[in-house]
Amino acid sequence: MAMSKNVRQALGLTGHYSGLILFAIFTTFPFLWALASGLSADASKMYLFPDGFWPHDASFMWFERVFQEMPFLTYTKNSAIMSFFTIIGVVVVSVLAGYPLARMKFPGRGLIFVAIIATMMLPSEVGIVPNFITLKNFGDFGNWIQESLGLGSSWNMREWIGLNSYFGAIIPNFAGAFGIFLMKQAFEAIPQDLIDAARVDGATEMQILWKVMVPVTAPSIAALAIFTLVNAWNDYLWPSIVMNSKEKLPLAVGVFNDLTGPFATSDNILMAAIVMTVVPVLVFFAFTQRYFISGMDGAVK
Amino acid sequence: MKNSSSYTTVAYLFLAPALILMGIFTFWPVGYNTYLAFHIYDIAEGTARVASAEDGGYFTHFKYIYGEDLFHQALKNSLLYLLVVPCIQLAALVMAKLVNNKLPGMTFFRATYYIPVITAISVAGVAWAFVYKFDGMLNGFLTWITHFVGIHSGFEKVEIDWIGNPDIALYSVMVFTFWKGLGYYMVLYLAGLQAIPAEVEEAAILDGANAWDRFWKITVPMVKPTILLCTLLSTIAAMKAFQEVIVLTKGQSDTYTALFYVYDQAFRNYNFGRAAAAGLVVTFFCMILAVIQFRFFGEKK
Repeated sequence: MAMSKNVRQALGLTGHYSGLILFAIFTTFPFLWALASGLSADASKMYLFPDGFWPHDASFMWFERVFQEMPFLTYTKNSAIMSFFTIIGVVVVSVLAGYPLARMKFPGRGLIFVAIIATMMLPSEVGIVPNFITLKNFGDFGNWIQESLGLGSSWNMREWIGLNSYFGAIIPNFAGAFGIFLMKQAFEAIPQDLIDAARVDGATEMQILWKVMVPVTAPSIAALAIFTLVNAWNDYLWPSIVMNSKEKLPLAVGVFNDLTGPFATSDNILMAAIVMTVVPVLVFFAFTQRYFISGMDGAVK
Repeated sequence: MKNSSSYTTVAYLFLAPALILMGIFTFWPVGYNTYLAFHIYDIAEGTARVASAEDGGYFTHFKYIYGEDLFHQALKNSLLYLLVVPCIQLAALVMAKLVNNKLPGMTFFRATYYIPVITAISVAGVAWAFVYKFDGMLNGFLTWITHFVGIHSGFEKVEIDWIGNPDIALYSVMVFTFWKGLGYYMVLYLAGLQAIPAEVEEAAILDGANAWDRFWKITVPMVKPTILLCTLLSTIAAMKAFQEVIVLTKGQSDTYTALFYVYDQAFRNYNFGRAAAAGLVVTFFCMILAVIQFRFFGEKK
């Protein structure tokens, strides 16, 4: 007890914040560096430490060049379309499946729930080969429909539901154990009285789900939608396998291909492109942060 | 009251979208993958035929990968990858501990730590590739340090090829995984920590326990269920790691992991049968790991 209490407290606090700041530097330095390099017209100091971490001869020229050298807006549009429909799909499927698992008693419930949870343990990536073949067959099926209906080849229905389609790039993500589990947990937290009252009033299960359960679990649904948006926006592997025409690529794939491909002309454009891809997600995250924490919280409990 | 069979029908109707989609994209791949592993798949024709005697018999793919050094190395690398698990768990727990209080700025730090999680792996990978290259930022930083400490002088530079040197490339990729996943586990631990009543820690402080003791004797035992969950999740994630490899090294400099081998055989070699066989082996390893962990932690509980 040589030190006074205040000094010890101040030291403790300094240590605490030093730890926090060190971690913060570790998690953000690649993006801070990318931001500084993207803003520097003078590229010569980019790889010097610590000079690389602030802009030299600041300008937005590299950001403008990004729009000229890659179809950035097309990629953004594709990401938006794919994310939007993924959210709809995931929310509908998860809400519908979560309700009976949480609040209805029927034969096979336990087994189905265990099966869904077990999929979390499987290395789902092993499914990419069979899923690739399945989608190829979907495409053939689309083509068959087109031919049976006598439609011209300009319809190109193979690319509506098969490989190289938005549908194919997102459909495997619709039914996920995480979403179903999250909604099941949310529905279980609702008081039984609410459901009983609705049943006494003669409501069908669909009405109970739509008019009672969905409004009450809106925060959980929002959390699920936000999670899904971020995952869909960032999904790289599966779209990179399914999509083969450049004009259908989402940001995560298109930007990566352009940055690592033969068109990568300057490191600074690359850094500017990285910043532009990351920033929309960050802005969105800044506004919805609390849902991430509370959503994960719900899933753990 | 409604009769029970129509009630069951309603429940299954609700579950139908989830069950059908999971059936097609999650369960069917497991079965079809097993089937493919014993067959020769013809990409152009889209047909699979039984591996005949000329092909090397029913187990031809398994024989091939059993004898192939590349696959052995890939498996070894995947097992080595498990080193990430304890590191990421400890760091995430410390991180969660640091932000689990009411000091100013905690929301900011939590959000900052989550940034790597919500960025696309492909884009983050490009940024890290530039950190890692031999004239990249990491070497720039190390050069600065060595000059500062006086090991090197003048214009000498640190030039380590972090992702090009086979001896260290895999570890560099592991650091990337560590960086990308840290925030995710931090949030899970935060949820666990917030369930601990504040009185427990306050009592320990009154008893004169120091921060180190409090961490190991109170925090760790109290969040044990979260540790189990996170260890399980991160072990499976480490075993499945391969997107990191795609975006950082493309398998060069001895960084094949088991699933990267599967991906490589499927979409670069177009040998779906062999990819399926390797995938089956990976699934088997994942299952063994899951069982071991359940045994190990289950007994301790």
